[in-house]
Amino acid sequence: MSGQKITIEYNDRVVRQFLLATVIWGAVGMLVGVLIAAQLNFWQLNFATPWLTFGRLRPLHTNAVIFAFVGNMMFAGIYYSTQRLVKARLASDFLSSLHFWGWQFIIVCAAVTLPLGLTRGKEYAELIWPINLMVVLIWVVFAVNFFWTLARRREPALYVAIWFYISTIVTIAMLYIVNHLSIPTSLLHSYPVFSGVQDALVQWWYGHNAVAFFLTTPILGIMYYFLPKAAERPVYSYRLSVVHFWSLVFVYIWAGPHHLLNTALPGWLQNLGMTFSLMLWAPSWGGMLNGLLTLRGAWHKLRTDPVLKFYAAAVTFYGMATFEGPLLSIKSVNALAHYTDWIIGHVHAGTLGWNGFMAAGLIYWLLPRLWNKPLYSTALANLHFWIGTVGILLYVAAMWTSGITQGLMLNATTEHGTVLAYPNFLDTLNTIRPMMLMRVIGGGLYLAGWFLLVYNFYRTVKGAAPVNGTIEVYDEAPAPDAKLSLAGTFFSAPTLFWFLAVGFSSMWMFGTDLVSTAGIVGAVACLIAAFALVPSRSQAWGGWYEKLLLNALPFTLLVFFAVVAGGLIQIIPTVLVQKAKNVEDRIQTPYTPLELAGRDIYIREGCYLCHSQMIRTLVPDILRYGDYSRLGESIYDHPFQWGSKRTGPDLARVGVKYPNVWHFRHMENPRAVSPGSNMPTYPWLFSHALDASVMPAKIKVQRLLGVPYGPRTAQQIFDSMDEQAKGIAKDLRTAGAYVDSDKEIVALISYLQTLGKSLPVITKSAPR
Amino acid sequence: MFKRLILEDSSIWYIITAFVTAATIFLTIAWRALRMPRAEADKFAHLPFTTDANERHDPHA
Repeated sequence: MSGQKITIEYNDRVVRQFLLATVIWGAVGMLVGVLIAAQLNFWQLNFATPWLTFGRLRPLHTNAVIFAFVGNMMFAGIYYSTQRLVKARLASDFLSSLHFWGWQFIIVCAAVTLPLGLTRGKEYAELIWPINLMVVLIWVVFAVNFFWTLARRREPALYVAIWFYISTIVTIAMLYIVNHLSIPTSLLHSYPVFSGVQDALVQWWYGHNAVAFFLTTPILGIMYYFLPKAAERPVYSYRLSVVHFWSLVFVYIWAGPHHLLNTALPGWLQNLGMTFSLMLWAPSWGGMLNGLLTLRGAWHKLRTDPVLKFYAAAVTFYGMATFEGPLLSIKSVNALAHYTDWIIGHVHAGTLGWNGFMAAGLIYWLLPRLWNKPLYSTALANLHFWIGTVGILLYVAAMWTSGITQGLMLNATTEHGTVLAYPNFLDTLNTIRPMMLMRVIGGGLYLAGWFLLVYNFYRTVKGAAPVNGTIEVYDEAPAPDAKLSLAGTFFSAPTLFWFLAVGFSSMWMFGTDLVSTAGIVGAVACLIAAFALVPSRSQAWGGWYEKLLLNALPFTLLVFFAVVAGGLIQIIPTVLVQKAKNVEDRIQTPYTPLELAGRDIYIREGCYLCHSQMIRTLVPDILRYGDYSRLGESIYDHPFQWGSKRTGPDLARVGVKYPNVWHFRHMENPRAVSPGSNMPTYPWLFSHALDASVMPAKIKVQRLLGVPYGPRTAQQIFDSMDEQAKGIAKDLRTAGAYVDSDKEIVALISYLQTLGKSLPVITKSAPR
Repeated sequence: MFKRLILEDSSIWYIITAFVTAATIFLTIAWRALRMPRAEADKFAHLPFTTDANERHDPHA
């Protein structure tokens, strides 16, 4: 053995910090979750207070559990395992500290701004633009720290867990930046650069892959490291883990459109999303089986070891959720399940079962090692497991039952499919109330289990001295023949064939006539050439692949290209297609300044979290809400408001349905006009004056984004708002409702009344 | 071209092409992975355990 023997002390301090943050933010996020679940049962729990209403707290819940709870857990797991897998201390103590404190600062900013109604109005991407910039900055800090550590590694081979971490870092960076592209109108507000269908596609490309690359791939990396460690045996099949990784990277990124099935999204994208979602079945189950089979010969330990209990259950829930996901992506199943509680049940099987239990297993395994003291109580940890499991099962069973009931009732028709069987939306809501209550109990049990962990954590670390792991290693230079330069990476036959195949295929798909023909010829020629060369070149190509697995930078770049290809092929055509000149049938009229101000209030209050604005191309949707939504009808919506859940009815065409006074009474007390409704009251909209001074800046940004507003001065904008508001206030007065025309409720009514009002397009259309 | 993307039945070919491209890359890599020599796979699988023998935990304030 050559080289000098040195001692490395790991930076476990930052791991402890992230672990502690996981425990705290987990409790906060879940507590808010139980509260908002209870609000759906008991509207009084909204306390008629702006910052305590469901619409503002729901983003706080989702952001807290995703980015604060799972985020901190992920960083703890990644930093602990990476240092040991590469036999190197984290590259920079400063960057590690900056990463930790920066991330906590972001979380605190989110916890303050979201209840204040400062939001971008896109699910899981609600944080306002200054916080977005901080997230990007801290993510870069994390990436630099991670890759710098890899560059200093003493273990040449990169274990598969590291691959999963690399894919997380590069993909989340890409997704986050693209979906958060915005133009600020003020320090606290911005409009997304995308609108309508393109915003919908980008949002769910991001939303779906946030699940994939924030809640799944890093946790799979953690599974591949910590599960073998806890079971004290290597992973069942390393080969299967490699297949698992590559298939997820290549397939996951394409599946986002399954969130938009039966909507105005172009049909080819819907089919693409469904096809790739179904393909996800195989790799996900391969990974689950690999995890469970790692426990072969160690199953008896589950009786006593809470860590293995949590891991085994977590992997099982991973399998269950990844079976359900593709199932829900089948268009006909989706017609029943979308917008219902079934989706909520699916999501929570993944988050509570997979993420939450992996976090618990990680914490119980790390606690004794990071504080050099046995866990305070194994019995309490076991109790946590059983309470948590019962909680999840109650939660998920309730939501499945509720979701399927909703879907069946809302889609049910009589008279040979021409009349709705349950025309009143509230019939459905009141039928599922017992299930909604069971969800609160299930969630409450899960939260109680987490509090047991908090207590166990506290008692374990109390009085214990934190310890950092150390190892002695030989400091050796890497073998020169294992190096792969960037030129060697990209000017190799496999990479060139891949780029050529994608290039020709794109020409074929998106070109016309000669370009398309050339694309077909090129793609086929490329395929034939590649297969012809396999017999003679397979050894050299194999050697290139082996080297790739030892070289972090080329590996990272190729992973990045793999994920970026899926995104570009979906997004670019959609961004280009959504131009007014391409729209057929119907086109949206731009909002008046007052309507735009009302729309911003709608977004601020989180109305999109319970009300969709997308009538699907399904008969029951059309019977209930009116003609199906066209692509052109949301073309100027920055951001889009298609929604993902119908706790209340769709609002795409509500504008032509009720008089102004109905909306006035409804926002004042929903139960006055809709008996049995669970919607909160919004008394502050009747007392807060609308801030009209921000509208010129907002209109300016809208114009910049391509919304066809003519040039107008600030005074003209104020005059227009004043005139429209006075008209609405006068109409309300006539109907016996009294309110000053400068109040927020007037702007909101003006917005609601414009929904569904679009213009027919009379211009040329493509021959069908 | 854009109307083609939205309206024409031929758009099914885009899905098939994407599927075949992704499936080809996946199958190639899966084939490589499944042909990995047992010794090499074992070596990789044991990487999480290579530091166990000499790792210790030192008290650190």
